Amino acid sequence: MSPARRPRLEVLVTDREQAVARLHQLAGARPALRSAFQPAWQHIASGADPADLEAWASGILDLANVNAGPGCLVAAWQISVTLQPRLGLVALGDVVRAAAELCRRAGSRAAQAGLNACPTVAARLHGAGEMLQWWRSLHHLAQTAPESVALVASNVAAILEPAGLGGWQSFLSAGLKLGGTDRARRLAFFGLEDEAARRMLARLGETVDFQHVERGLKLFLTALWANPPALRIAPHGMPGSGGVGPGGWPRRTSLAGRIVLMPEVYRGVSPETARLLFRAAAAHASAHVALGAGRFPVGQLKPLQLALVGLIEDARIEALAMARFPGLRRLWAPFHTAAATGAATAPGLLARLARALFDPTYVDTDAFVVKGRALFAEHAGRLDDPAMSRRVGNLLGNDLGQQRLQFNARTYVVEPAYRDDGLGLWDFTDPPAERADQIEVVVDAMRPQPQAGEAPPRGEPERDPLAGGRAREAASDGRGVVVATYPEWDRAGNVERPAWTTLRDVPPPLGDAARIDALLAARPDLRQRIARLVRGARLGLPARLRRQIDGPDLDLDALLEAAIAMRRGEPPDERIHRDTVRLARDLSVSILLDCSQSTGERVAGYGAGPPVTVLDVQRQAVALLAEATAPTGDPLALRAFASCGRDDVRLFRLKEFSEPWGAPAKARRAGLQPGLSTRLGAALRHAGAELAAARTHRRLILVLTDGEASDIDVADPLDLVEDTRRVSRQLKARGIDVFGVTLDPCGTGAGAAMFGAGNCMKVTRLDDLPARLAELYFRLARR
Amino acid sequence: MNLSPFRIAAEPYYRPVGNEVSIFEAAYRDRLPVMLKGPTGCGKTRFVEHMAWKLGRPLITVAAHEDMTAADLAGRYLLSQDGTVWHDGPLTLAVRGGAICYLDEIVEARQDTTVVIHPLTDGRRMLPLEKRNELLAAHPDFQLVISYNPGYQSAVKDLKESTKQRFIAIDFTYPEPEIEAEIVMREAGTEAGLAETLVDIAGRSRNLRGAGLNEGASTRMLIHAARLVGAGVGLEQAARASIVLPITDDAEMREALTAAIAACV
Ligand SMILES: Nc1ncnc2c1ncn2[C@@H]1O[C@H](COP(=O)(O)OP(=O)(O)OP(=O)(O)O)[C@@H](O)[C@H]1O
Ligand SMILES: [Mg+2]
Repeated sequence: MSPARRPRLEVLVTDREQAVARLHQLAGARPALRSAFQPAWQHIASGADPADLEAWASGILDLANVNAGPGCLVAAWQISVTLQPRLGLVALGDVVRAAAELCRRAGSRAAQAGLNACPTVAARLHGAGEMLQWWRSLHHLAQTAPESVALVASNVAAILEPAGLGGWQSFLSAGLKLGGTDRARRLAFFGLEDEAARRMLARLGETVDFQHVERGLKLFLTALWANPPALRIAPHGMPGSGGVGPGGWPRRTSLAGRIVLMPEVYRGVSPETARLLFRAAAAHASAHVALGAGRFPVGQLKPLQLALVGLIEDARIEALAMARFPGLRRLWAPFHTAAATGAATAPGLLARLARALFDPTYVDTDAFVVKGRALFAEHAGRLDDPAMSRRVGNLLGNDLGQQRLQFNARTYVVEPAYRDDGLGLWDFTDPPAERADQIEVVVDAMRPQPQAGEAPPRGEPERDPLAGGRAREAASDGRGVVVATYPEWDRAGNVERPAWTTLRDVPPPLGDAARIDALLAARPDLRQRIARLVRGARLGLPARLRRQIDGPDLDLDALLEAAIAMRRGEPPDERIHRDTVRLARDLSVSILLDCSQSTGERVAGYGAGPPVTVLDVQRQAVALLAEATAPTGDPLALRAFASCGRDDVRLFRLKEFSEPWGAPAKARRAGLQPGLSTRLGAALRHAGAELAAARTHRRLILVLTDGEASDIDVADPLDLVEDTRRVSRQLKARGIDVFGVTLDPCGTGAGAAMFGAGNCMKVTRLDDLPARLAELYFRLARR
Repeated sequence: MNLSPFRIAAEPYYRPVGNEVSIFEAAYRDRLPVMLKGPTGCGKTRFVEHMAWKLGRPLITVAAHEDMTAADLAGRYLLSQDGTVWHDGPLTLAVRGGAICYLDEIVEARQDTTVVIHPLTDGRRMLPLEKRNELLAAHPDFQLVISYNPGYQSAVKDLKESTKQRFIAIDFTYPEPEIEAEIVMREAGTEAGLAETLVDIAGRSRNLRGAGLNEGASTRMLIHAARLVGAGVGLEQAARASIVLPITDDAEMREALTAAIAACV
């Protein structure tokens, strides 16, 4: 833009009402701009609200006004076209204005680099709010290191990808600190040539994910509440929801009855913060479950009201939780960072209100926040009445509604980050017909109901009064919660296909525990034989050896006898020492049961009594083994599996490692029914992954199968045999022994091929199974 | 025979939790053997001391262990200048002198050792001293008390059925929070707020019993923690030193416990 035109433009820009018209004039006046502007304008303007267009155009004029140059303007139009659906024109106007500000501080090259980076930033970060924060970080950088702004902006992908917004900000401040006044050093840092910069990026890329903290969280919650909700990873890729970040990763926890769905990772925070965030989030969600009271009917509430009622309910629950556990305040407080500054946006005010209700020392004079505080304080005596959340939330919702602040349920994310997405509070079932559409939008916008298989946690059969209609519907297809995906070996292609199988955790149907006890009682002979085995093995007990030649202690009685013998003039027995030897035990075992259709076959003439199935015999054998090994204290887990194609490998958790062999485990064991196919490799990989976490020195997987791997989508069973063989070997290499027990009356199975001849036991007479299994166990346990 | 060293001069503080005192008194009236069941550090030993004081009997305590033999309990010949002399074991001492004999953690002893108490704990009330060829009738005031922690036992290490069935049992658990706080206050000389918080902390750890911990924090641990605080250690530090570190070596468990403790204070 030529200096000669500037005065004219300045006059025009002040006339806000006419920004669109002025923009046309500006673009029309220069051929170079015109050819870029026309198509962009057509794209942007079609169907847009005139007021939004004005707001956007005035941002563009700001950019023109700081002499940013045609390159910047064209870049601004381009990102407006690409990001309009995501951010909306008003926010884009703000983005361009932020670019203008940057241009003022660091020049047009920096502004253009910033604009060019916007699509990447939008894809990595969440919404206009974070986008503008990102721009502010550049403004800040421009104050001390204007020369580096363009450079760092052009490296945005490399930094934002691993680090997220928080990491980006730490990266910038680290660069400023390290570079100091040394311009060259700063350039090297922000150009990612400096070693320190690379190291920092690598470190920021380290994440602590749910798997790292799962056990600790479970223990923590059990300590707090004795009977805490179950924690699961939230399924990835739920469509267009405010609680979902780029790439479909959930960013907030979600409540589904007595299940808490947790994000797999919290992006953009340091590993230490992530640990705290997981803990804070788990404490918050579990407090809802422990202290909350069922779901609210949605009724006629609008999204903003839903959000506000949720916010009040959060404050109420946290107040109750902190009355019970005062220290929780210190866990949650660091995440309340909302500040009483900046423009009043709906999400901003919600975050500030959340802080105001949490933090009595926080000062905020905004009328809405003040009113929210006052209303909450009025109800302080009725904190145990959930109806107060609804009342106060509604009142505040009306208030905020009258301020005409925009609230976009699709992009709204609950703050602070440890809180849940709020949807678990609502009962979306049975909407009145005329409201169905709107509610559909709300549900859709915020979060779809939890996916399949949100079954009640173990020990809490079906009766989940909070389960919503959709959840129940989804669960009834029985596909369960996706817990992992695993690769599978492709024999023909000689490659490993990544993420080929999907493993789902399906709650086992409950049967009658008494049935297992009856099975045990039916075979007193076997029971005794196995009990003898246990006693004979004397597992884990120190054995005391008296009258030894050598040893750390004296055997007092032997010593006395020797002394008496010497006085009598007889040769004394020199074995006067005592010693103990401890047969060390350090073993975890996972038993993997094939419960595919073929295990439903009947076995004639097994023991006395009516005919039974292969599964029944397995049941009995495993029950006997679990009973017999209980005294050894060896951690023993029971898993069953069956599959229906590669995306539906089902895993039934019948007993956990630390769980006693009691009625709940027995009921799960009893309820298992034969069905579907045998995709052994996937189940084995999962059992291996679980065992890998065991702390014991020895880890053993015992597979009980009929030795015939198959699945509906596998043409050649040899593929699965080969896959299983490879997994067994891989596990072996990782220190996990796999041993196959094949129930193979006809001797046709591929047990040896899958597990290796030395690691496989073929049982042809089913009658033998219980005793053989126990013998095997103790043999393996000792070696 | 002088049992005066085994007499308890001053009243040992014991806060009754249920009807254990009257049950014990009734059992003692007929000299029925008593088994105290319960987790570690919940007051079993203190209770016996208190009862021995109350009943005016000397108390002889034996801590059972893996290597304990029948001779360790009953007695043996020792060498002397001119031959051998018989030396009564602690059990024999109590049987002769009419004391209460407390066999702590009886299951730690091997089953072939524990059978020596069988003739003492049925209608015979006799202690056979095989080596001496003597059949010793128990003093009329003698009573046998054993402790037994059901939590740790396994089928491989348990009392014989024939041993168990000779005893009256009194079940000890951790007392109600208010009572436990009272005990902590009294034993450690601390104020109520601290004691209540410590009892709450103990509750957190007891929730993890069987879920990674063999046993939750005992009353004894709480008293230790309270004493550390009394000596100027910060509460969370004291809880760490007297509860978290002793109770588990599992790093995740320690972290979780520490977080739960932090939630209580
Ligand atoms: N009811 C109670 N009254 C008074 N003090 C108690 C009571 N319960 C526990 N204590 C306190 O707890 C401490 C530990 O109790 P004690 O030594 O009797 O435990 P225990 O049950 O014998 O444990 P262990 O099985 O480990 O021997 C006692 O020193 C005492 O201070
Ligand atoms: Mg004791």
